[in-house]
Amino acid sequence: MTSTRANVIESQNVSLMFGENAGVFDQTYTVPEGTILGLIGPSGCGKTTTVRLALGLYRPHKGTIRVFGANPATFRSDHQVRIGYIPQQFVLYPNLSVTENAEFLASLYGMRRHQIRRRLDELLDFVDLAGARNRLGRQLSGGMQRRLMLVGALMHDPDLIFADEPTAGIDPVLRRRFWDYFRTLRDQGRTLLITTQIVSEAMYCDYVAVMRQGRLLAIDTPQNLKRRALGGEIIHLTLANPANLAKAVGALRRYPHVKDVRYLPESDRELYVTVDDAGDWIPEVLNLLENPDGPNIVVESAEELALTFDDVFIRIIRQWEDQPVDQTADAMMERDLYGQHSARSSHTAHPDDVAPRR
Amino acid sequence: MPDRPTQRTLTTSRPVDEAVRWLIRVRAYFLKEVREIRRQPLLLISLVAGPLLVLVLFGAGFVNSNPVLRTALILPDDLPAGVRAQIISLVGLNFKLVDHVYTPDEARAALTHGDLDVVQIVPDDVFGKLQRGENPTILVYSNAINPLVEGWIQYLAYVQVNEINKALLTEQTRLAQQQAHTIGVRIAVGITRLTDLEREVSRAEQEAIRQELRTLRTLIIQFRDALPPENLFAGRGDDIEQLRIRADEAIRSLDEVDAILASGDLERGLAELRDSREALMLLDQQIAIFVSIAPETIVSPVQQRYQNIRTESIGQASGAYPAVVYYAPGVLALLVQHTAVSLGALALVRERVMGAFELFRVSPASMVQLLIGKYLGYTVFIAVASAALTAAMHLLGVPLQGSWSLFALLLLLLTIASLGVGFLISAIAGSDSQAIQFAMISLLLSIFFSGFFISRDSFAAWIEPVSALIPMSHGVAGFQDLMLRGITPGPEVWIDLGIIAIITFGMVTFLTQRQFRRA
Repeated sequence: MTSTRANVIESQNVSLMFGENAGVFDQTYTVPEGTILGLIGPSGCGKTTTVRLALGLYRPHKGTIRVFGANPATFRSDHQVRIGYIPQQFVLYPNLSVTENAEFLASLYGMRRHQIRRRLDELLDFVDLAGARNRLGRQLSGGMQRRLMLVGALMHDPDLIFADEPTAGIDPVLRRRFWDYFRTLRDQGRTLLITTQIVSEAMYCDYVAVMRQGRLLAIDTPQNLKRRALGGEIIHLTLANPANLAKAVGALRRYPHVKDVRYLPESDRELYVTVDDAGDWIPEVLNLLENPDGPNIVVESAEELALTFDDVFIRIIRQWEDQPVDQTADAMMERDLYGQHSARSSHTAHPDDVAPRR
Repeated sequence: MPDRPTQRTLTTSRPVDEAVRWLIRVRAYFLKEVREIRRQPLLLISLVAGPLLVLVLFGAGFVNSNPVLRTALILPDDLPAGVRAQIISLVGLNFKLVDHVYTPDEARAALTHGDLDVVQIVPDDVFGKLQRGENPTILVYSNAINPLVEGWIQYLAYVQVNEINKALLTEQTRLAQQQAHTIGVRIAVGITRLTDLEREVSRAEQEAIRQELRTLRTLIIQFRDALPPENLFAGRGDDIEQLRIRADEAIRSLDEVDAILASGDLERGLAELRDSREALMLLDQQIAIFVSIAPETIVSPVQQRYQNIRTESIGQASGAYPAVVYYAPGVLALLVQHTAVSLGALALVRERVMGAFELFRVSPASMVQLLIGKYLGYTVFIAVASAALTAAMHLLGVPLQGSWSLFALLLLLLTIASLGVGFLISAIAGSDSQAIQFAMISLLLSIFFSGFFISRDSFAAWIEPVSALIPMSHGVAGFQDLMLRGITPGPEVWIDLGIIAIITFGMVTFLTQRQFRRA
């Protein structure tokens, strides 16, 4: 990923192996300041390992990673105070109250009592926990515990926030609120790296990295990823008369801006038409089909097909699985259809500028 | 939504700020531990009330440290009633005699089935054997499986046989003295008769004197045979030691007189008559000394008188403390060590397993700050528990004779050393259950090897390093000195505890930092 903004995280060919096929491989990505990067992938695909590498909890065997321009494995305290971390599980203390848990975490960053008090009031209001400040950790619901973890991570006002599956196991309403928090934090200039298994959450991110088996399959904006997965955008056409279906397909396939035309199974008058931009090309497609001097086909409806991100995710995974591994990564690199954003992850060996280490 | 603070104060690099932040992090861990424990009042109550209750129950229920041994005593029918009563009384001092009368075979069967712990069989004709110079043997049987109980049986049987020996010998000596009284008169008459023989006496008188001397000879033989074994007189001085020899000499000289009288030639036997008279006079003198000494003195010349010098200072009849008081310092040391080891053992493993190490490692807090904070938190908690237990013990009459400040210092050192052992367990253990297992092993080691119940002197020398590695060993010794004796514990107590505290802290820091890096 490249951007005019400064990069907070820069990962170059980073690999970390936990055995023959486990770990992360050749991760190259950057995260610009003031953006949200979502790491999306199934359980065990290496999301947490990627986060831990960026936090300095693991050292890469190959490649280099820089956070705030420094090697995370040798972070000094002035780097550490700029980072907030929400681990996957609730690691706060069940016998301490909400306030005490937050105070404890803030004190680890050397915050003084008056700083803690002021900041805690603000943050508890922010996450709607002000009314539960004296409740013990064990008395909190799962959602409240996650919010408390967020408060803990924000107490020292970090610039970069890592959140490892912060929305796992909580209801959709609260998930939405969490993403509202994250976007607010982003709007304040913070950078966030958030992992999730919930593919639909990709739409809340500025950039999305799709992961599988330790590899970054693609990294781009949500919209560009969708285009990449589908080869463009899809117009869903419904014809008035089924008898015109073949004629319409023929006309569309001859039209140079149409990339693909597909029949819908179990329908004799619907088509999927792939174009670069559905919004731009719907009027053109309608003009083409309804032209009285041309096909003169009556179109009952034409609308952009709203595919879920799950479909996009599955398509990206399938594309990757359908091609030899090296070709997949290289093809994605070469295609780079969507401008400035790129990702690369492959089995191919890369020269290392650091000795393998753990 | 809060605005971002404009001033960043967490990264200033002034040494004072850095030092303050260092202390804030230590305080964070300290307060966290204190708050967590404070939320578990039952823990504090059980830690204080539990040991106290055990101590009270122990004090109320403890009777004797000797085992109660159900014993069948099988006595021969020919034993005089007095001696019989005396033996029963002596055996009953150390063994609990059962009422049932057993034959040897029945007793052995009861022993096998566990109905009896000990069977003692006194042989027939004890006095006869003693007089014949034989060693009558009291057979003691047990079916013990406990080595300590077996040791007790052997020891108590040994002591008991000594007492029985003493009683039998005293009785035998008393009987010999009674005989000596009787023959003393006869010897005096015999001496007179021998003097008469040196003058002119008729043949008829000679024959009468001869019969009298023969009777005297028989009495002296009986007296000699009734004397206690020769070795009993050894070392008692010539007068007593040579009593048997004098009796033999007297018997021999009377034989010679008898021969002279049989020949009728008294002129030729005048010298032998004079020798015989002197022999009887010597025997008479020694018998007079023999009967003047109490039989107990002859049998047990050396007596013992026990005094606990503490009775002088405290003005009480018994110098030793009641068992509940004596064991109280050990219970305090046990409470301190076990609480510290248990808390320490779970301290790190719990954080590690729950994933908190990951949070700590991402933060600027160091492992040393974590350890110091936790040590401080647990030390405060143990200090509160110990103070409460000490106060409660005081109400039970457990004194603190020594210095309060040294007591507090020893408590602190024991706590830190024990926490070190606990944290070391925590650094090694892979899970909560493993940590608890290790803590239990350390408790077991402490109970056996710390001198709490079994003296450290009871073990082979190579066990000593094991004892020395247990903080409680030094705690028990130190608290006993301070609380019960009022003296300052020896330097080894302070040095050993200090070494344990330093080495364990170093090892824990090293191991945990390694784990911290891998969190």
